[in-house]
Amino acid sequence: MGLLQGASELFPVSSLGHAVLAPSLLHWSFKQSDPSFVPFLVLLHLGTATALLVLYREQWVDIIRGFFSAALRGQIKTDTERLAMLLLVGTIPAAILGVFLESRIKSLFASPYVAAGFLIVNGLLMLGFEFLRRRKERGASRTEQESHFAEAERISFRAAALVGACQALAFLPGISRSGITIGGGLLAGLRHQEAARFSFLLATPVILGAGLVEVPELFKGGVPILEYVAAAILSGIGAYASARFLLRYFRSGRLDPYGWYCIAAGLVALALLHFDL
Amino acid sequence: MKSSSMAVALGVLGVVFILVAVLYALGVLQIFTSTTSGPHYKHAILFVVLAVASFVAANFARPKLV
Repeated sequence: MGLLQGASELFPVSSLGHAVLAPSLLHWSFKQSDPSFVPFLVLLHLGTATALLVLYREQWVDIIRGFFSAALRGQIKTDTERLAMLLLVGTIPAAILGVFLESRIKSLFASPYVAAGFLIVNGLLMLGFEFLRRRKERGASRTEQESHFAEAERISFRAAALVGACQALAFLPGISRSGITIGGGLLAGLRHQEAARFSFLLATPVILGAGLVEVPELFKGGVPILEYVAAAILSGIGAYASARFLLRYFRSGRLDPYGWYCIAAGLVALALLHFDL
Repeated sequence: MKSSSMAVALGVLGVVFILVAVLYALGVLQIFTSTTSGPHYKHAILFVVLAVASFVAANFARPKLV
């Protein structure tokens, strides 16, 4: 479960959708209503966030430094300062919607059937993002096509806020946070690799914050902390490996394979659930 | 867009957010919460972040001497 969560959190295939579907399909005795589920999820998220912090450790030092410089000066002078402010603007809508709506949305839609349905919707969204993107592309080779698009620092503040708000859609099990933000980045004119980088940077404070605020849950009785820590480490390893893979993949790769995977996985899951296999 | 009135408005908004954060942390405010008693640290942290963002925005909006 730790490896699955860590790897699928950053792949545009919805970790929450898989976390809801996998126990039902594999007949694991793992209930989300169990009191130990929240601490488990907290540690998995902290594992993923740590992996992202390790991956971008140098950039985060620059971003934090850039944030304070620009905030105190009241003026943006460098690309890193602009990126820091873009991340702030992108994080706020997700944080507001997360705090006020997350538990309500998750409790409303935490059914394997709904997760499978939204997984298909997620696949269609990925294909839609790529369809719209292709209309703007020029050039013969993939490298040439990508070269016409921008780096993460050049995204507009309005687009950053919109991409950030889209993260809230990921509270629906089956809709991928990274998929929706990478797609939003593509529509805002970023290169695939830069859209992925912006998505991972944007996800870090949200995942870390969501994990940290639930830390007190870990100290309640009956939490098998050692097993959960092992799962968190596996989640971190999975997240690190998948982030490295995806950044490499998106140099020339597209979202389409993940879109088709989500549609197929959603349909197969619906069939398996329907026939109780 | 840069004006002292905008900067003041954003600064005031920041102070309001800090007050709301304190009220959530003390458990006085129970609006839009999943439980109706006790402190709500998640909400409090959110409003602290919003306050920081407002103060930063106020500093950006403030007219600067060139």
